[in-house]
Amino acid sequence: MAWSWLSAATREQKGSAGPGEAEEFHTTHASEAESSFSEEEEEKLQIAFSLEKQDLHLVLETISFILEQAVYHNLKPASLQQQLQSIHLDQDKAEAFASAWAAAGQDTIEKFRQRVLTPQKLETIGWQLNLRMAESMQAKLKSPRAVLELGVSNEDSKNLTKVFVEFSHQELFEFYNKLETIQAQLDSLT
Amino acid sequence: FAFLFTVTVNALEGKDCKESVKLIAESTNLSEEQLAFLISGMYTLLREALRLPLSTFKQEVFKEDLKELRIPEDFIVDFSSIVFGNRRPASEGAARIQGSRLPTVQDFKWRVDVAISTSSLARALQPSILMMMKLSDGTAHRFEVPVAKFQELRYNVALILKEMNDLEKRSILKIQD
Repeated sequence: MAWSWLSAATREQKGSAGPGEAEEFHTTHASEAESSFSEEEEEKLQIAFSLEKQDLHLVLETISFILEQAVYHNLKPASLQQQLQSIHLDQDKAEAFASAWAAAGQDTIEKFRQRVLTPQKLETIGWQLNLRMAESMQAKLKSPRAVLELGVSNEDSKNLTKVFVEFSHQELFEFYNKLETIQAQLDSLT
Repeated sequence: FAFLFTVTVNALEGKDCKESVKLIAESTNLSEEQLAFLISGMYTLLREALRLPLSTFKQEVFKEDLKELRIPEDFIVDFSSIVFGNRRPASEGAARIQGSRLPTVQDFKWRVDVAISTSSLARALQPSILMMMKLSDGTAHRFEVPVAKFQELRYNVALILKEMNDLEKRSILKIQD
């Protein structure tokens, strides 16, 4: 059981100075999969808590595991504290977890909710309304055309590809009707 | 002359006429240079004439101009029948297709998903929208739209439509040819 591993890890924990601060850092960085702290920050933490490098890593991994479980089961701060106490974590540490979770828990859960697995995501929307007066094949046109610029990010916003799409009045109207259909579907969900 | 004329009209409508030109070149005894002159002359003439919209272009004015260019009478009749007759929409259709424009949406597919559970959340219940757009230049784009961005997209499209309506009501009254 994962919790027994956790209690073993907590019993090895020596440092008692301000575990609450480390948790604060962790809840804000919990959405990142890799290590939350840079090399310099890790060294500063080592000095601040007077821990060896391995112990520091153990502490950080423990904290992030606890927080991930809290996110997965959508725990309330009170039940989180209860769970931690039932695995014989120190009272003040459990309280530190509960208070940090109460402060930043909901936001973290929301952040995880918004995460998507698809490679491409729509980020930005821009548009331009042009009145086409003439072109090489036709003079004296006066037709309004809209250009929609969709910024699509690729795999965690490494680069933003801009997709340009042009619409005439009729085409835009059809597009709008399709968007309305999607909206009706969304409304029927809630 | 009639052959050359039909070839030119076909070219304007966007059809391929290399074969017909070859046939003509073999059947008549005009030199290649004269042939080139005739065809390109007629093509340019008709193209410029077709550029101007019907509302501002009068048949009489056209015939007068052709007379000034010293083109024989029956040819004038043929020319004006093309420009003002009922083969006009075909040429206009070709012009519209060949015009330079950004890609337009050819096919638009969408999907609304609800994520029930993910690896990081046991109970997520988050709706999301997947869109796939095929554009006229052949590219296809598939991307996910979060609900908030979808609302923004919908708002922007409605805003453009409103602006377009206002623009059409206003400018048609103001800018007269």
